[in-house]
Amino acid sequence: MAGLSPSERRLQKELMSLVKEPPPGVTVDSDVIERNLLQWLINMDGASGTLYEGENFQLQFKFSNKYPFDSPEVTFVGPNIPVHPHVYSNGHICLSILTDDWSPALSVQAVCLSIVSMLSSCKEKKRPPDNAFYVKTCNKNPKKTKWWYHDDSV
Amino acid sequence: MASSASSSTGSSKKIDANGGPDTADKEEKKEDRTFECNICLDTARDAVVSMCGHLFCWPCLHQWLETRPSRQVCPVCKAAISKEKVVPLYGRGSTKQEDPREKVPPRPAGQRTEPEGGSTFPGFGFGDTGFHMSFGIGAFPFGFFTSTFNFGDARPGAAPHGTPQHLEEQYLSKLFLWLAVLFIFWLLLA
Ligand SMILES: [Zn+2]
Ligand SMILES: [Zn+2]
Repeated sequence: MAGLSPSERRLQKELMSLVKEPPPGVTVDSDVIERNLLQWLINMDGASGTLYEGENFQLQFKFSNKYPFDSPEVTFVGPNIPVHPHVYSNGHICLSILTDDWSPALSVQAVCLSIVSMLSSCKEKKRPPDNAFYVKTCNKNPKKTKWWYHDDSV
Repeated sequence: MASSASSSTGSSKKIDANGGPDTADKEEKKEDRTFECNICLDTARDAVVSMCGHLFCWPCLHQWLETRPSRQVCPVCKAAISKEKVVPLYGRGSTKQEDPREKVPPRPAGQRTEPEGGSTFPGFGFGDTGFHMSFGIGAFPFGFFTSTFNFGDARPGAAPHGTPQHLEEQYLSKLFLWLAVLFIFWLLLA
């Protein structure tokens, strides 16, 4: 592990434990990630018994060299963006732990679990009410968005 | 006391029981997970523990507290946390019994800004900047205000001695010092 920055060192540890004990439905290609620890692609299956059963999603994590003090930039990417009241059609996710409530004790695994549970508790597949406007006007980086976390029930 | 021969067999047996240094090392690593820093996930170095019981390296926790100075919470449980309220841990193996909080990174300097151009700051005097200083002391319990009520921000240096402005400043500084003293008394009596 020589030559790794503190961020990469921690990401390397996270990768090893994620490969060893992945949350249900979550898979990673560790070979690809090891080439660039600062950008991960994660596959996520819609949990069975939920509205997303049988669907497949891809999550992209981008880390700065201030990780874990700085939260990762997490978006859905690829052809299938889940239709969910907190997920915009450009893949941006409205989830407080990704900005205001981030803590360095959280991890990729914790974020994945949080997103899985966010999807699983969904009762109706629909986009956020301001989707069209947001997607047109937002910054490419969801962390630049000043989110309103007013609705924790969904 | 046992002979030196028997004691040396004893120690070599112990190594055998652990299956050599490799396995011992692995086992140690597993056990160490309990003592992993909650931030860098390494075994905590210069370890400190918060009042809520969470373990960190002091450098890691310090960096987190610096990241959000206005909202200092425990990364694990979100309990309020501060530099003053973490307990340094001294294991038997640690070489020096020094408080990790004393080491790098040092405690950040206070947020008080000195008036500009005041190169001849006379300390706690009643002189040029005494007004500024004594007000700071008076408001001590409310450290926050000290920095906000910094009258000296754009003051173009203290007036030269002897000028009317200087005398006025001196008068004001004494006045405020007395106000501060009265305030402290009031606090003590209240
Ligand atoms: Zn640490
Ligand atoms: Zn805690």
